[in-house]
Amino acid sequence: MILTELASTVLLLAGGAFFLAGTVGLMRFPDVYCRLHALAKVDNLGLGLVVLGLMLRADGLAQALKLGLVWLLALAASATVAYLVARRALRRGIAPWRGEGP
Amino acid sequence: MPDSEHRRSAILRPGFSSLLSVALFGGLWWVLAEGAWRAWGVGAVTVIAAVAASHLLWPPRVARVSPVGLAAFLFFFLWQSLRGGLVVAALALRPRLRLRPDLHELDLRLPPGPARVLLADALSLMPGTVSAGLAGDTLTVHLLDRGLVTEADLRQAEGKVAALFGLKLSAGEGGEGAGD
Repeated sequence: MILTELASTVLLLAGGAFFLAGTVGLMRFPDVYCRLHALAKVDNLGLGLVVLGLMLRADGLAQALKLGLVWLLALAASATVAYLVARRALRRGIAPWRGEGP
Repeated sequence: MPDSEHRRSAILRPGFSSLLSVALFGGLWWVLAEGAWRAWGVGAVTVIAAVAASHLLWPPRVARVSPVGLAAFLFFFLWQSLRGGLVVAALALRPRLRLRPDLHELDLRLPPGPARVLLADALSLMPGTVSAGLAGDTLTVHLLDRGLVTEADLRQAEGKVAALFGLKLSAGEGGEGAGD
């Protein structure tokens, strides 16, 4: 159906835009902790939108749910990895960047 | 935490919980096999192994999840992670990057175990927070910008996790205003 195709395309493009924004954040943010925010949140939203867009094009319910499962696993993995990286950085005494002013 | 507290919120009885995990892992296999029926031979073995492994790793005693709490948590979580992505994307794309990051220590009222792990993971996907350490009863959270998150936001997330596990948080300990 043309409407689902359209919705799917919009979702895929929006997902791509968030991945781009996440990458911009990864490059622009000042320290390791801030960069984790860009990865853990923006990229996951991007992936969520891409998954939704692909679900609309899936052959059948099982395949659509499988795509949803991929997103859930990626969420759990990236939240855990963000935590591990941040914890390791803190333990090694890497002081968070505090900004220029109050 | 007192066990009676736990028991009161019990929704799954052991027998029912085994049945539920068979249904859950069966459904999972169906999804993984993309609905292919001829894969059921391997599937049956895998499902039985998965149920056994899950009972060993996470005994049913611990797995008390409130369905209403789960629905409320999922709704809250999806909405917050949508917000989180939008807010941080907007910050990243602003022509002049103006961040005021900070570390915040949150005194947890959740009991040790899966509830704390879930909170730490969920906070990393919400607007402006990344969990950076869990020691004793204190969760260290990195804030992307001090103006973005308040203690009340963190407490709200904690409350949603507590509701998911059918736990009641004591109002006194932990307390409000534990940070700046």
